[in-house]
Amino acid sequence: MYRIIFRTLLAPRSSSVNVYDSCVLAAKCDKTVFRVTNKCGVKTFSTSSSSLCEKKNNQDQKTQAVKEGDQAEVVELKEEPAVLKAEDGDATEQQTDVKTEQVASKQPAKTKNDAAKSGKESLLNLLGAMKVEVTNKRKLKNLKAKQRYESVTQYKPKAAPMKSTISMYQKATGDDSSQSETLDPDLVAAASSAASTLPNRSQAESELLRQLRRHEAIAEAQKKGDINNLGVIIAEMKVGKNPNRQNAWPADQIRFDDDGRGYTHYRGITSELSGVRKRRNLLLGKRLNIFTSAADEDGIEPAAAKPTLWDMDFANQLSLSTNQMPRNGFEEMIQWTKEEKLWQYPVNNEAGLEEEAKVPFHEHIFLEKNLEEGFPREGPVRHFMELVVTGLSRNPYLTVQQKKEHISWFRDYFHQKEEVLKEADVYLE
Amino acid sequence: MAAPGRHIGHSVQRNGRFLLYNLEQLLGHRGFGWTSALRQQAAEANKESTESVVIPRKKTWSREAVLEALASTVSRDPTAYPYQFQDDPYLSPRTSTEFKLFSLSQESGRSAAKYIVNNNPKLFTKDFAEPHIPCLMPETVSLRLEEVSEEALKERITLRKVTAAVDMYDQLLQAGTTVSMETTHSLLDLICLYSDRDPVQDGEPQTDDAEFGEELKKRKAWVRRASDFLKFTWKENNNAERIFNLLPERDTRCYSALIRGMVKHGAYAKAFSMYTDMLNNRLTADVHIFNALISAAPDVQDKFNERWDLVAELLNQMNQQKVRPDLLTFNSVLKALRRCGFLAKTQALHTLNEMKALGIAPSLASYDHILAVFYKSASSAQNNTLLQEVIAELEGRIFTCQDPDDVLFFSSAMRICLDSKDLELGYKIQSLVDVGENWRLLGDSFQQSIYYGRFFNLLCMMEHIDVVLKWYKQIIPSLYYPNPQGMRDLLQALDTDSRLDLLPSIWKDIKTLRHDNKPDLVEELLSLMAREKHSAEVQESFAACALDVKSVFDLRPSIEWSAASLSHITTLLLRANKTQQAWEMLQLFKSRNRVPSEGLLNNFLSVCHSDGDSQKAVQLVQLSAAFCLPTTWRLAKRALAEFELTEEQRAILSELETAGEPSD
Repeated sequence: MYRIIFRTLLAPRSSSVNVYDSCVLAAKCDKTVFRVTNKCGVKTFSTSSSSLCEKKNNQDQKTQAVKEGDQAEVVELKEEPAVLKAEDGDATEQQTDVKTEQVASKQPAKTKNDAAKSGKESLLNLLGAMKVEVTNKRKLKNLKAKQRYESVTQYKPKAAPMKSTISMYQKATGDDSSQSETLDPDLVAAASSAASTLPNRSQAESELLRQLRRHEAIAEAQKKGDINNLGVIIAEMKVGKNPNRQNAWPADQIRFDDDGRGYTHYRGITSELSGVRKRRNLLLGKRLNIFTSAADEDGIEPAAAKPTLWDMDFANQLSLSTNQMPRNGFEEMIQWTKEEKLWQYPVNNEAGLEEEAKVPFHEHIFLEKNLEEGFPREGPVRHFMELVVTGLSRNPYLTVQQKKEHISWFRDYFHQKEEVLKEADVYLE
Repeated sequence: MAAPGRHIGHSVQRNGRFLLYNLEQLLGHRGFGWTSALRQQAAEANKESTESVVIPRKKTWSREAVLEALASTVSRDPTAYPYQFQDDPYLSPRTSTEFKLFSLSQESGRSAAKYIVNNNPKLFTKDFAEPHIPCLMPETVSLRLEEVSEEALKERITLRKVTAAVDMYDQLLQAGTTVSMETTHSLLDLICLYSDRDPVQDGEPQTDDAEFGEELKKRKAWVRRASDFLKFTWKENNNAERIFNLLPERDTRCYSALIRGMVKHGAYAKAFSMYTDMLNNRLTADVHIFNALISAAPDVQDKFNERWDLVAELLNQMNQQKVRPDLLTFNSVLKALRRCGFLAKTQALHTLNEMKALGIAPSLASYDHILAVFYKSASSAQNNTLLQEVIAELEGRIFTCQDPDDVLFFSSAMRICLDSKDLELGYKIQSLVDVGENWRLLGDSFQQSIYYGRFFNLLCMMEHIDVVLKWYKQIIPSLYYPNPQGMRDLLQALDTDSRLDLLPSIWKDIKTLRHDNKPDLVEELLSLMAREKHSAEVQESFAACALDVKSVFDLRPSIEWSAASLSHITTLLLRANKTQQAWEMLQLFKSRNRVPSEGLLNNFLSVCHSDGDSQKAVQLVQLSAAFCLPTTWRLAKRALAEFELTEEQRAILSELETAGEPSD
């Protein structure tokens, strides 16, 4: 616990992971980091930031729009209040004041915290913090807008804690000599005003005051060089749960890459949900706006034109690129059917006889009308021809045309043999 | 609309008796005023009810309908070989190489038969089939018309005889006959498509194929595809250009043929100058010209933004000339965007939305291009929301191939899943493949094996071993022949979930897949088996497997086996108390010029000790001395201490001990 907190404080260079850790810790262990950090002398830091966070969360609950904003931003806000201020160049005066105060006081705070740590190292830490600041810049730009909005709406209540934190800091760092057990009345006032921004005001105020007193004690102890006491005090500390902190879901935290490729979202249930939300605007967005969407003119489609060689080549390419292998016997039969190698289903025993189907059946059967011309009405020839017609009417293998030709062949034949027939007293007419 | 009428009709029918009775009654009392009205109502109700139901007199089915219904009842049998190989069990492919060989030989046999039939039509005149089956009869592949006429030219064009057609055209011009515009168009199409060269006819023996080297055969699918485009380049002033310049008047079709041919055969800059020439002649382009030019755009410009500007300019001109874009237009835009670097991401999405706004459904190729734009390298695939969106959009849809690039979608989507280790998405893609006939869009066997390889790799990495094995049984080997890397992934998955007892069955599969000649794969298998002790029966099966591996060793003397795999086998045999076989293994070390490790010999000695076989122990120490192992003396010492030895044996051992012991 002790170590983690220290890491959080002393290594803002890799603060991404560590702050994230500490946040998880805060959420999990029902403890706020702020009070602990107060102990180490970065009190103003955290109190100001926490108040900001608190307010932000309140804001979130109030307005739908702010709610949409990433919780990750809240976390950033907490981890880098100074950066926030740096970005807010044209924001309120109080904010810039706080910024300078904090940046200036960072150094003494750290050196005081860790005597063992060399000055150079802390300088490195500072530089690391600056680096994070730079990478955060873009992300914080839209935060800034929100910040302004806040400062417009809640200007008064915000300014108060800001001031208070400044004064608090001045007390904390510069006023080491005053070792009175009783707190400075200004400090108390500041604490109460800071607490006024919190939901449960009285409790927060008393907590803050207790914190301040404890800080006084530590300052005294430190002056005596009794730095080991710090650990004992921290260990004894009781850390209360802050319900508002739960809003900072770890799932949406931003993770920084060392290679500077940017940040990646953690994937979890929440990001899945946000993916669903995003889905609507990623594939459905702006378009090129070159063509008119209306299908007003149907376009004179040259579909009637026969396929060109290019079309055939394209179709061939398509069929070559896909897998056309049949998977079972039926599919192979489908292929054969398409190639017309196979009888078609449903089975039709007149397949291939489409021409013949146009001829009605009675033309096959009633062939007597073909005997009306060129044949005698009665007699052996007529008799013979009637037999021929009967035979033809029962023959399924000949077309009507063939049957007619057959009959006309006999007609010609009998006409050729007319002389012979006359001799036998048979007349064709 | 129809429903209420039907309802009334229904109720009328139900109450028919009552109504009838009523009507009868009413008929008897015609004097009542409301009679006719009621009857009219009833009649109306009847009329409505008959109108609502339209029973078709005859339903015409497509000729494949019955077969399609039957085919849909047959599901894939994961234990069977692909259907095309079921005729001949001897030709059941067990490896991907065999699969390729067999399917290619099947196809080449078909083409050879067709070639013979087509080139010897005199031998195949008998037409047995009734009704006549045209595709079984020889096709005309040789020229029939010899005289100089437009008909002869048309015949040459349909038979795709490029040089003969050009000759005929020249003769016609010399004779002073004018060729109709339509024939000129198709002649230009023909020349441009084949870049003024005679195409390789289907079924004709392809001489250049035989020249493919053995090493090229593996990459044949790629080589062939690339060569189709690269073999013939557009020649300066070829016949197409010459004929084009001779034309008295040129219309869009002529330009279209030229520009498409130039783009197809790599003369990109020339295509663009042709296009400006066409604009100067106050002609409007058609959609094919634009498609070709857009796909050529990245090749004529060097800078990313210049490329995109050119594409956008072409699209604007399309709009000005009132040419409706089609799917291929946008697909070529997206394909061009793949080579537009930083511009690609935003413009690709805009293009996709433009497509949708115009009512053109994107094909799989469109999505493939977009995925390629967004997931350029493996490292960038960590955030795969785009793929999720794409899959969510495609889910459950049935696709037909509309673009030759459609077949690349599934394998590239699976690559992204593999890179981002997203199993869930992988399953979604797989279920999309299973919908309808989408599996056909996996492409040829090469593409398909890439896809399944990636899917299987993903499974091995992310999934529980039971599920992996379920998929393993399902897709291997009926759909996918895993490569050695795939098998190694499977071994690792088995190791992760500690199901090493399955290793012998995996070894059988490795043998079937002919991966038993890959020493490193076999060594990995052996090391997994030998790594730790298992229960007695598992050890027994391992030992049987190890013996099997050993028999493979013996079968393939050319393969270099490492000392590690040899000692793994020996260890496995020792654990199963197969001392005699283990002893033979030790002999094998010698013949293979490998040196056993000290640990192995120590193990062996312990087994000898538990067997009480002092003779074997002495032989072991002697063997160790024969290998000139520096630790022989230690073995000898141990043997001396632990075994009950005869005097003679003791003498041998003590000699070895003193000989090997370091003098200092």
